[in-house]
Amino acid sequence: MDVKSAMTRARRGLREERRLYVVAVTSLAVAFLCLGATLLGVTNLDAAATRWGQSGRITLFLKDDADQQDIAQLRVVLEGLGDVSEVTHVTPEQARASFLEDADVGADLSSLPSEVFPASLEVTLVNGVTRARSESIASRLTQFRAVSDVESYRGWFEKLDHLLWGARMLATGLALLVVFCVVAVIGNTIRLAVARRRQEIEVMKLCGATNGFVRGPFVLEGMFQGFTSALLAVLALLAGYLALHEPVDSTLAALTGSRIVFLSAWTMIALLFGGALIGAIGSALSVRRYLSV
Amino acid sequence: MQGTKVVRPFPFFRAGARVSQPQLSKPILALEDVYKFFRPDQPTLRGVNISVDRGEFVFITGPSGAGKSTLLKLVYRELTVDEGRVLFCGRDIGRLTDGSVPFLRRNLGIVFQDFRIIDHWTVFENIAIALEILSIPQRLIRSRVAEALERVGLAGRGPDQTSNLSGGEKQRVAIARAIVPEPALILADEPTGNLDPHLAIDILTLFEEINATGTTVLFATHDHSLISKRDHRLVAIDEGRVVEAQKGLKHWPGSGIHTLVG
Repeated sequence: MDVKSAMTRARRGLREERRLYVVAVTSLAVAFLCLGATLLGVTNLDAAATRWGQSGRITLFLKDDADQQDIAQLRVVLEGLGDVSEVTHVTPEQARASFLEDADVGADLSSLPSEVFPASLEVTLVNGVTRARSESIASRLTQFRAVSDVESYRGWFEKLDHLLWGARMLATGLALLVVFCVVAVIGNTIRLAVARRRQEIEVMKLCGATNGFVRGPFVLEGMFQGFTSALLAVLALLAGYLALHEPVDSTLAALTGSRIVFLSAWTMIALLFGGALIGAIGSALSVRRYLSV
Repeated sequence: MQGTKVVRPFPFFRAGARVSQPQLSKPILALEDVYKFFRPDQPTLRGVNISVDRGEFVFITGPSGAGKSTLLKLVYRELTVDEGRVLFCGRDIGRLTDGSVPFLRRNLGIVFQDFRIIDHWTVFENIAIALEILSIPQRLIRSRVAEALERVGLAGRGPDQTSNLSGGEKQRVAIARAIVPEPALILADEPTGNLDPHLAIDILTLFEEINATGTTVLFATHDHSLISKRDHRLVAIDEGRVVEAQKGLKHWPGSGIHTLVG
């Protein structure tokens, strides 16, 4: 197939059927935008999960009757562990003050006595400690006499894992749906274009054109549609990200300790070239049936 | 170790293939006992035998529905024979694989009654497509299209929009498209059917000029007035059978040609 000739004919086809293609590209851009937005959500959840997983924390709730010597001994043991970066003793008064500062339930909680808040040791683990290692440390710490309970935030991580799993499934489902949409929309667009250009195809076949020669420009047009739609979606997503990340970032940083991130370069490349590839496949499939002249 | 020998069924039709001397001495086209059925009990062509030499001009005539177009379609492989053989340069067209058909058609120039030119393309684009298919460089395409336009009397009309041309001019564009790749054989299927008698003679003359350069022409028409003006070989088809005359109507073997050509 002569690529230059195919490109010239594809350009002519795009020019002649521009209205049809604008409608198709717009519809596909919306489909790609949905996929891109979901991928952005998954990327950020993943980033948050990774960050939380690696900057592990363990809270040791102390017994009411724990004496200072036991607590000091526990601190020495903790600080001796290579996985621990910092140990902070939080008294019931400090816990109450912190709670009153963070709580936003709309009721007056200042009358709460400090006795309802147990004293604790907040253990910060060094970066890179795996969740399994964190669980192992937490289970060993329960054996100390001064410790009444250990919170390793396992429940949170499990919930986050579930959320991530759900988001990934959603992204996979959406990706399949988008592939179907792209193949269907591009297939139908090309089919319409082929129907309008049927005489051209007939003439070319009668002049000795091979199927590859006839198919070439349509495949290029499909590729162009897929690529342009994906590009528009990525640009729209980027514009939304740039407009929103400032206000969202500070809130998110306060809540989760992580910042919002955009799609990775590989994800964007996969979206763009995946779009082009699916477009090409959709076109090739729809042209096939019109080649028997 | 000797590798498996790949046998291409019809290398002659493949790009870059050369015609050997023995092939040149054979008829360019031969139909041997050809049958074509569209209905099982009523063949459109029955036992047709025709042999066309290189450089010949042959009228194919007969009433509407006699099978003229069917015969031509068998040659450019839009249809395949049900029985018999169609040999082009000694090769059986019926045995060509689908992938080889484009290479057969590159050796043919086909002209139709309804012109089959693309109205929203320019005259140049309509003719150049036949060369683009052959992957000829643009520079060469420009010069060869200009030459073809000159031959059909449309010199300098390349940039014109085809939709603005008259019927006669459109047919000239179609003829230019057919001759521009310099095919061995031109198949004209009622090329004057949509034209007035004066223009029809002009188009016939144009085909004769093309034939004079060595190109074989098969000219299908049911126009009696047109074939009566020339002494070319005449092949008449009626009810699927063929009757021939070597030198036009003057040498017609029997009576009844008027009923044949309508």
